[in-house]
Amino acid sequence: MMEIEALQYKGFRNLKDENGDICGFQVGIRFVAYRGPWLSQFRFAYVKVDDVEYGPDVCTFFVNGVEYTYAEMLKPENWRVKVQMQAPIYIHVKKEGGLAMGCHRVSVKFSEIASYIPERMDDINSEMFEMMHGNDPAYNRDMIIV
Amino acid sequence: MLEYEGVQYKGFRNIYNEEGEATGFQVGIRMIGYRGAWLSEFRFGYIEVDGEKFLADRCTFVVSGVEYTYEETFNLGRVKWPLNEAMIVRVQKPGGLAQGSHTVSALYGQVASYVPFGSGELDINQKPGGHGHSESFGYTREMIIV
Amino acid sequence: MSEERKVPKRGISTYCFYPQLGVNMDLEDIFMHMQDMGATGLEILADGIIPGYPYPSEEWLNKWFGLIKKYDIVPVEYGHWVESRLYPGQREASLEESLEQLIRDIKLAHYLGFTCMRTKLGVISETLDPVSNWREIIHEALPYAEAFNVVMQPEIHAPTKLTDRMVNDYVEFIEKENTKYFGFNIDFGVFQNKPVPEMARFFREDRVSKPEDIIPLLPYVHCCHAKYYNMSADFEETTIPYREVIQIMIEHGWDGYLLSEYEGPHKEDINHCIEQVRRHHVFMKKILGQ
Repeated sequence: MMEIEALQYKGFRNLKDENGDICGFQVGIRFVAYRGPWLSQFRFAYVKVDDVEYGPDVCTFFVNGVEYTYAEMLKPENWRVKVQMQAPIYIHVKKEGGLAMGCHRVSVKFSEIASYIPERMDDINSEMFEMMHGNDPAYNRDMIIV
Repeated sequence: MLEYEGVQYKGFRNIYNEEGEATGFQVGIRMIGYRGAWLSEFRFGYIEVDGEKFLADRCTFVVSGVEYTYEETFNLGRVKWPLNEAMIVRVQKPGGLAQGSHTVSALYGQVASYVPFGSGELDINQKPGGHGHSESFGYTREMIIV
Repeated sequence: MSEERKVPKRGISTYCFYPQLGVNMDLEDIFMHMQDMGATGLEILADGIIPGYPYPSEEWLNKWFGLIKKYDIVPVEYGHWVESRLYPGQREASLEESLEQLIRDIKLAHYLGFTCMRTKLGVISETLDPVSNWREIIHEALPYAEAFNVVMQPEIHAPTKLTDRMVNDYVEFIEKENTKYFGFNIDFGVFQNKPVPEMARFFREDRVSKPEDIIPLLPYVHCCHAKYYNMSADFEETTIPYREVIQIMIEHGWDGYLLSEYEGPHKEDINHCIEQVRRHHVFMKKILGQ
């Protein structure tokens, strides 16, 4: 079941590579909304942990079990792939050694393009996101790595 | 899905006979607990609406679609009220409840053999609650009849 | 090759989240949290977890086995009850009535993959003495437990002390029967030596067991309820001397499962429950040197 917050606690963990070495971490996000975007409408700025930002260059995105880079998601043909309301997107973040055991402040800045609202709201770096989610506890969660 | 509260909003409505006359009302209850009750261990105190108490003699109890009198439940040691299911209590009250807001409470619970004899038995003068003891949250709700 | 050091393993009981199940959470959500925490051992409270208990549907059974595999869950302990006051006015169930319930659960526990049971017998006193015919019930059930390879375990829970006569009676029974299929689940609440502020009225200063009291019982303990009431922000349980108890377990090579069981306040707040269980597992990992 989904958690009501945009950032999902379930799934927050370190990731291991084939040799069993910790190579990064995972965090799930969901759209707190009444629809999910088509992939090409998904917009992402960063995952931030304890004030360190991890941008699209070190992230991949699992949608319905399929892994995409940010560039792949935005390809025009991917407008036919839907982010389902019933399942989170899991973001895998490359970070050698992963996150330390303990509590972390996690934020994720993401949004969607929606054609039914004015175009100026498309820019994730506009003031809009900050205004709506900058201090929103659903987008900024204290979570523990075990 | 269940609502968190003991008294469930879903299912709160008047009930009608074949002639279309309101003969009473119904309200769902759930166990906020970690196991359901064998019907023989179910204990019922009352449903209270706006200060009027309806005791077991004016109620029937619907579990998994089957309606029982309170007397009948005492012999049913092999029938379970499942934890993940609301029990519908059907209350006789000619004319039903008036349209508008009502304060609805319930006292019910179960006796259990792993706790000392006598715990879980109810007294109809007890405050609303579940598991046979008075609890403040979720056993009294303001609910609207439409 | 050096022998691998035996240490307790980590797991959780579905009890940690019980009021949220069917409301804000389902079993798969718990499994995902377990995978996040590397806490592989599972206790279910069968009655509330198995839809249609005690007669699960084929559909649910398929789902269960699928989820166990997907999330690498080890089914450890199956929580169940043997009701002795099943009908109004009844004080102790007959041997047959008790066995019917117990054998039914032994078979179901085994089928679901569990190797231990938390067997709650009916009690006949304020100090939780079990029904007078408990020896007969367990004796008759032992061949079934053996055939289905599950260990029946009463939970030793406060206000019972580990040094109480009742516990000693169980030990004598195990030795007399010479069986591996009856043992104990020690609930860590027996070691609680400080009250939880919100729950101070339940604390019994005169009923605290000492960590070393567990030593003679360890050979009969297959898993424990790692009870916690209050995990602080710096990852310490503030009411139970965990370090001493777990140190003793390590020294004695006990490598059963510690199953987290949250019994503190605010269980109505799902995020509080999630945070408490994560803190608890950070705490246990630190003690276990992981």
